Amino acid sequence: MLFLKKHRSAILATIMVVISLIMLSYNIVNPSAENGFIRKLVLELAVPIENIVNAPVRALNNIWKRYLFLVGLENENRRLLRQNALLTQQLIQHQEGYLEGLRLKKLLSLKNQVSYKAVAASVTGRNRKSLHQTVMINKGSAQGIKAGMPVVADSGVVGRIIETSWHVSRVLLLIDENSNVDSLVQGGRVQGILQGNSQGCCVLKYVPKMEEVHVGDAVITSGICGVFPKSWLLGTVSRVTRGGDGLFQKVEVVPSVDFSKLEEVLVLMPQEKGARE
Amino acid sequence: MIYFLLLPIFSFLFVVFQTTVFELLFFNRVCVEITLILVIYAGFHMDVLKGGLLSFSLGFFLDIIMGTVMGLYVVLYLSVFFLSMLVSLRVYAEKTFFIMSYVFVCALLECWIVLMFYKYIRDLDLFHKFISVFLPQVLVVSLISPACFNTFRRFGDLLNVGAERSDKRARNR
Repeated sequence: MLFLKKHRSAILATIMVVISLIMLSYNIVNPSAENGFIRKLVLELAVPIENIVNAPVRALNNIWKRYLFLVGLENENRRLLRQNALLTQQLIQHQEGYLEGLRLKKLLSLKNQVSYKAVAASVTGRNRKSLHQTVMINKGSAQGIKAGMPVVADSGVVGRIIETSWHVSRVLLLIDENSNVDSLVQGGRVQGILQGNSQGCCVLKYVPKMEEVHVGDAVITSGICGVFPKSWLLGTVSRVTRGGDGLFQKVEVVPSVDFSKLEEVLVLMPQEKGARE
Repeated sequence: MIYFLLLPIFSFLFVVFQTTVFELLFFNRVCVEITLILVIYAGFHMDVLKGGLLSFSLGFFLDIIMGTVMGLYVVLYLSVFFLSMLVSLRVYAEKTFFIMSYVFVCALLECWIVLMFYKYIRDLDLFHKFISVFLPQVLVVSLISPACFNTFRRFGDLLNVGAERSDKRARNR
């Protein structure tokens, strides 16, 4: 008893260090372990508070952008009108191609095995800690969301779910270094792996030097791994470097989604054809 | 007893406010790790049980909210806490310059360990971010540390006065 009293501090310190080391070792060994109750609870509680804090900032930001800071709006409007006319023309051509493709597909009896059900969610928080590029969304396992599901926005792929709680999920963004997406350069059908570089853009890896890739080419999902549906826009090629040693060229890609302005996303939940609602 | 009951709530709120309000103060450009300064302050001024549990819970909530490997910041914060305790036994840890330098060294050490952890455990090389991302964070944290120390001291004094008053009231009854 006297020993315990005498060495109380040392014993307490040892207990705390041992517990923390066990916790760390367990999570290193089991990185895909299911989230514990406490972890889920903390995430559930943190998001509403973050929302309350961020709401006035978001409102001020909106007022500034939509009503006050309107420099260059007229020029942008003209440019968008021109672009709109051009895109309408292209759309008509592509629609023709799409319909033709559908007809041919029907002829060949090729059918999609997987369809997706979309769940809309709002971005509630951003992880600004520079180690990971993640955002929190306000939908979770209660809505059927699971880790690994793809997340998209109107302008393209956002990332994938890496962690879920009951009503909150964490999305790993495309620009994070842990993110790897099987992709395709649309023009030349060149395959590669799109990896984030945490500085707001991505790198298309494993593209052989002999393949033709041009600046401005669209990069889309290949759908090979089955995580992301096929033909979703990932970004556009911004730089191609062929010099240097090695077998592959360096292809830099600007994501189609502006992650700093991300507000609403869709989580795509795969459904087998028979199970479709 | 109240301290131990309030500790999880306080730590949770502190971490949430750090990731929201405190980052807004720096226009979301720099991540300011005030929790690290609090852990160092605890190492200089608190006993093993109170300070250790504070460091543990801060690290625990930071791991969850940041989405890092569970236990990484718990281990880091406990190490910083015990290191600070040992340092405070040998050095007069109240001078502004000392606080700034010590926080700088601890923040740098923490950053280095995190980068090494990701490199060797997760096979993810983040060292290229050191100059552009981590060094500004380390500098900002060390610069604001004396002001944070003063705030924590005043907050601690207020709590002590409150505790003394409630003790007095209990004795009078």
